[in-house]
Amino acid sequence: MSNIDRRTLVKGSLAAMMAGAAFSRSAFAQSSEPILLGVSGPLTGPNAQYGTQWKQGFDLALDEIMAAGGINGRKLAYQFEDSQSDPRQSVAIAQKFVSDPRIVMELGDFSSPASMAASPIYQRGGLVQFGFTNSHPDFTKGGDFMWSTSVSQADEQPLLAAYAVKRLGLKKLAVLHLNTDWGRTSRDYFVKAAKEYGAEVAVTEGYIAEERDFRSTLVRVRDANPDGLILISYYSDGALIARQVRQVGLKQVICAASSVYSPKFIELGGEAVEDVHLGTRYFPQDPRPEVKKFISGFKAKYNGQEPDAFNAYSYDAMNMAAAVVKIGGTDRRAIRDAFAKVKDVSSVIFGQATFDVESRRVKGAMNAELVVRKGQFALWDGKPT
Amino acid sequence: MSSWLDYTINGLIVGNVYALVAVGLALIFGVSRLINFAQGSIYLVGAYVGWVAVVQLHTPLPLTIIVVAASAALVGLIIERFGLRPLQNSVRIAPLLATIGISFVLDQLVMLTFSPNPRALPSQLPDVRFQVGGGTIGPLDLLIAGVGITSALLLFVFLRYSKLGWAVRAASQDRDAAMQMGVDVNRVNQAVFGIAAALGGVSGMLVGMYYNQIDTAMSLQATLKGVVAEVVGGAGNVPGAVVGSLLLGLVESYGVAVFGTSYRNLFAFLLLVVVLVLRPNGLFASARQAPPEPLTGTFIAPSRPMRIPRWALAVAAAIFAILPLFPVSFYVLQTLINAWLLGMLALSLTLVAGTIGQVSLGHAALLAIGAYTSALLSLTFSVPVGLAIIGGGLMSAALGTTLISPSFRLRGHYVSIATLAIGEIVSLVILNWEGVTRGPIGISGIPPLSLFGYDLISPNSIYWFSFAVMVVLALLQGRLLTSHLGRSFRAIRDDDIAARAYGLSLNRYKSLAFIFGGFAAGISGGIAAHLYSYINHETFNTQQSILALTVVILGGLGNVVGAILGSVALVGLPELFRIAAEYRILIYGIVLLLLVRFRPQGLLGTI
Repeated sequence: MSNIDRRTLVKGSLAAMMAGAAFSRSAFAQSSEPILLGVSGPLTGPNAQYGTQWKQGFDLALDEIMAAGGINGRKLAYQFEDSQSDPRQSVAIAQKFVSDPRIVMELGDFSSPASMAASPIYQRGGLVQFGFTNSHPDFTKGGDFMWSTSVSQADEQPLLAAYAVKRLGLKKLAVLHLNTDWGRTSRDYFVKAAKEYGAEVAVTEGYIAEERDFRSTLVRVRDANPDGLILISYYSDGALIARQVRQVGLKQVICAASSVYSPKFIELGGEAVEDVHLGTRYFPQDPRPEVKKFISGFKAKYNGQEPDAFNAYSYDAMNMAAAVVKIGGTDRRAIRDAFAKVKDVSSVIFGQATFDVESRRVKGAMNAELVVRKGQFALWDGKPT
Repeated sequence: MSSWLDYTINGLIVGNVYALVAVGLALIFGVSRLINFAQGSIYLVGAYVGWVAVVQLHTPLPLTIIVVAASAALVGLIIERFGLRPLQNSVRIAPLLATIGISFVLDQLVMLTFSPNPRALPSQLPDVRFQVGGGTIGPLDLLIAGVGITSALLLFVFLRYSKLGWAVRAASQDRDAAMQMGVDVNRVNQAVFGIAAALGGVSGMLVGMYYNQIDTAMSLQATLKGVVAEVVGGAGNVPGAVVGSLLLGLVESYGVAVFGTSYRNLFAFLLLVVVLVLRPNGLFASARQAPPEPLTGTFIAPSRPMRIPRWALAVAAAIFAILPLFPVSFYVLQTLINAWLLGMLALSLTLVAGTIGQVSLGHAALLAIGAYTSALLSLTFSVPVGLAIIGGGLMSAALGTTLISPSFRLRGHYVSIATLAIGEIVSLVILNWEGVTRGPIGISGIPPLSLFGYDLISPNSIYWFSFAVMVVLALLQGRLLTSHLGRSFRAIRDDDIAARAYGLSLNRYKSLAFIFGGFAAGISGGIAAHLYSYINHETFNTQQSILALTVVILGGLGNVVGAILGSVALVGLPELFRIAAEYRILIYGIVLLLLVRFRPQGLLGTI
């Protein structure tokens, strides 16, 4: 008997909660009815930091969009649902968004397992899944409702390889990469490009995201006797590796992927990241107007904090979403079609972003060659380190 | 050759770091026979208190250490007083679950207070490096080694020569006898938790300084490595924990040397399994030592299960069966689909953990085996999805039982630790065996669910399919429990010596339980793979195993209806708390703690 009671209780309260949520929002929205985007991403769990960075970028972009008059006079807003980057939760969120008529498109999720598990639901439900950090080569193959502004690693890694091999003159490389779908794909593109440019890849080492100790890995690196280290890392693990590289006394040039581009990289790495080279999509003194606007706006909104790569991705994504909704309106299918129509959307990462309709991705990311000098990211002046 | 010296030194350095956590775990296990899953969270608290002290208050190092030790000890005392002491007369497994709940709550509190962004925790020691072999060591290495070894020695002396130390050891050998001799067991527990927590806090701070980085994800990793090191050294043995940690560090370092970085944790967990199988009490257990677990099954206390009339179950099943015919949102259906999939996993775990008493902490591995088998069968060999899922169930049953069979001779907590390790090993093999599993890239484009040529893609049909599969598995399991076989299972759980005396072959019955359980879990994984269309090594992770165990304990061990009820509750609650955004996991942790506190035998009781 009590069994039924408890079950109905759970079910009843589920329904009540949703009714309550719908009511409070409709009451709130009566006056101005914002156009609502769904965001599925991690706010708790091991990837929570990336979700909070997304929010910063979103909020800044929304402020600017509102200041410019919103979407044809209407407000734009987002509803952030925490998935913990867990596929079990991202699929439930997907159904939630698909069956909520107010949501016009979805942004996210963060990790590939969480994003791609939800793709079939978005595809069948006819709601655009705009995965702006999804570099997995198969993400947009999930269907014509999957679009991505994530920089394709097929684009990014040859730029990094050119920096390391052609510009810095490194001939024998050791590659350390996160052993995730992103890190692995990146490594393969990097190695291919580096070999084409005439460098030898002496050793590649994949490490898991939770790894903190790299001393033994660095003995392997040392024994391979490279003249440069390539880090395909995020900022926290990148900083850990750089510190340990210098602690064990290796003096080689370090060259890192753009994902380490964050003030946290310098804070966590300290002196060890001095002279680390990195290829990025924009830089602090970048003369491009969209970058200037982004950086000054970000610092003003967040107490002088420097924006990082993930802030830039989410800022661009919200601007892109606004541009798409301006064309497509609030009809879900029209929004999908609008992705193929938007042209030259101002973007920190791409300069001007236009989708390639075949791959549903954006090509031609900007490139800047930076180096850490005196605890600051600076444009590389061509001088050897 | 000089490289080997470097690998050795590096192994010892990182082993040093593990030792700090392992010593605290060993101390608590020694007294309360409890694996404290909250130790990693105390370590986390220590790291952040250290950050506040160093970065905000600019305290000098000795004062920082005192502040951190004192605050962590306070947290430890609070945990002991309000989290664990109320449970001391309840089921042995309740405190274990409580520490898991406490660790959720502490981790979330730290995350909410300090944001999940990693922070730099600068070292307060001079930055000089000494050349050793091909590498260097710094003053912090020496300090960590000093703290680890000194604390182990001090604890050893304390346990052996002080009066409170005797009391601690007496309480650990026989609580009731110690109480009769006038030992204040509560005071002993308090002392132990205070010391272990202080140590845990200081170690979190030192490790944070060592890497100049602290973040909220460090807690689970610290607990995992600490548990491995502790068990290798002999659970409850403090000097053993230090040696076990150093050994763990060495094995990992040599593993990296020979096979490469991505094999590192594989060696850590293989070491654990090998040690457990060959020397179940750890490397340094003496023959005289009392067996670490009671001989009879007090691990899972019997309780009177709640009787639910059959008609009520039938009505409940009928209501859920016709639910999609009502105007229910797809979101509710999807949440319930998740609950049914978790329910199959919970059925599997409640059989092996509840009915036959093998508490598994690596059950997600069975999901992964089923999912990969089914995905690869349907993609590579074009096997129809329905058959592929059954194939996944069979593979999971066969492979899971084979993998677990060496640990059949283990008891109590040791089974949990062995299964935890086996779970990690399966996940790491999936990551590294690229030829078959496609490594970190994962498997994409897995065909959707279909049955007899009809695609099941509408939420309604997926709902009915997963619900039907779960009900069939539940009915089978219910039948099994009332049969001769079920009674034999419970006999083994309650008293394996008596069961053996009656002529029951323990290994054969344990195998049978794992075969049935593995099948149910494999089916669940297979369905999930076709539902998600993409899986990789992260899809079925340790958190999933812990969630399954929570469900099982919540529902009542061995209780079929309880497992399903628990799944609905634990899938539903975090969804219900969505409105609370960042706070929802915190609320979930608190609810879990309250349930353990007031209903430790589970909602429906142990069968």
